[in-house]
Amino acid sequence: MKDTASNTIFGLAPWKWASMLILIYVFIAGWLVPLKPGIIKVTPEKAIAGESVVLEVTGYNSSYVSDTAQVRAWLRLTGDTVLLAQHVQVWDNRRLTATFYIPSVFPMRQEAYPLTLILDHDTDGTSVLPNAVFAVPAEIQNPAEMSLWFENKVERVHEKAGIQFPFRNILSETIRNTYFHVPMWFAMILLFAVSAWYSLRYYRKGDIDFDQKSVAFIKVGLLFGILGLVTGMLWAKNTWNAYWSWDVKQNMSAIALLIYAALMVMRSSVEDDMQKARLTAGYNMFAFALLIPLLFIIPRMTDSLHPGNGGNPALGGEDLDNTMRMVFYPAVIGFIMLGIWISQLVYRTEKLKRKLGS
Amino acid sequence: MKHLKVLFFVVLLAVAQTAQAEGVVTADFMSSIGKIYVVAGVCLVILIALFVYLYQLDRKISTLEKRFKNE
Repeated sequence: MKDTASNTIFGLAPWKWASMLILIYVFIAGWLVPLKPGIIKVTPEKAIAGESVVLEVTGYNSSYVSDTAQVRAWLRLTGDTVLLAQHVQVWDNRRLTATFYIPSVFPMRQEAYPLTLILDHDTDGTSVLPNAVFAVPAEIQNPAEMSLWFENKVERVHEKAGIQFPFRNILSETIRNTYFHVPMWFAMILLFAVSAWYSLRYYRKGDIDFDQKSVAFIKVGLLFGILGLVTGMLWAKNTWNAYWSWDVKQNMSAIALLIYAALMVMRSSVEDDMQKARLTAGYNMFAFALLIPLLFIIPRMTDSLHPGNGGNPALGGEDLDNTMRMVFYPAVIGFIMLGIWISQLVYRTEKLKRKLGS
Repeated sequence: MKHLKVLFFVVLLAVAQTAQAEGVVTADFMSSIGKIYVVAGVCLVILIALFVYLYQLDRKISTLEKRFKNE
């Protein structure tokens, strides 16, 4: 069962070459495009209101030295309630100290006041570290200092030119996993969909060939699903601090995979070929119908750590900007094509085996 | 069933790798340079799993070829 001689390049269908080229591009761009400058550490974490505090800031991919005199720093409480640093001292490209005076009074009443650090200069643009410092209320409060909160605004900020991926706190470089972990699931869903489609065709026509096709797609879909789960666990270990945090998204995707694994086990336990095919087709369509609520509906109904669920936005905002889309969409397409390619190989092998067997 | 065994093997391999990584590779290592080694790990897991799967598929085709020659 060879590809037809026409429309091939070196004996391989053009879309297979395309999948290889796309994935090579994804690996190169996904790895080599730098992250925007960011802030990874600020010490001390606590400041006492009514006193000056000197913050030691550690940057990432930053180049403070190129604008030594122009680096501005703010601590933001909310919206326009900000403090401008009295003095910023640059030590090297990744280290600077910013001196702030924290007013002894706050415009609202809270137990602790989380402050966001904002840095801005021409070369790096703006970088932000949420909850960089927690201000502890002062013992003696001076109402006259209230106006300090409103003297300055975050204004005339710069944007860094060139192609970079966004710097996100906690994620930092692992934001690149968007191009490797997420397409695994996209590929799995598509392969399972194709498989369900072949199962439907088998139901209609009763041709054993459709059964073999649907099984090949399930097998490779399972491979991609397990890869999605394992890569997700590795990512979770380093961002959520545990391989498995019993998050609803993790649980539901594991259940979905178990349903398909059970399908393969059930299939191998039936002797008769026709019965095997009929059972598989019915179960497979049922499994795909279950996949939708398991992956897309239930995780959205409760709290989840995973982006895209429980109020966490995904595929938008800072988690996926236009620069990332230039790699993310090709990654999805490339891995889907690779999945279809492998599925076809599995199908062709099984078909050969059947022909030889009979 | 053979496929399932291989899939199981791949999972075991990945788990063993990460479990091992805990002992040999410290958490400090994984979080150094902006956690870039996490991305490396994810890419390695994907590539190794795909290669193991293809290796197993290749073996399957080889046995079929042998049978084809004998018949």
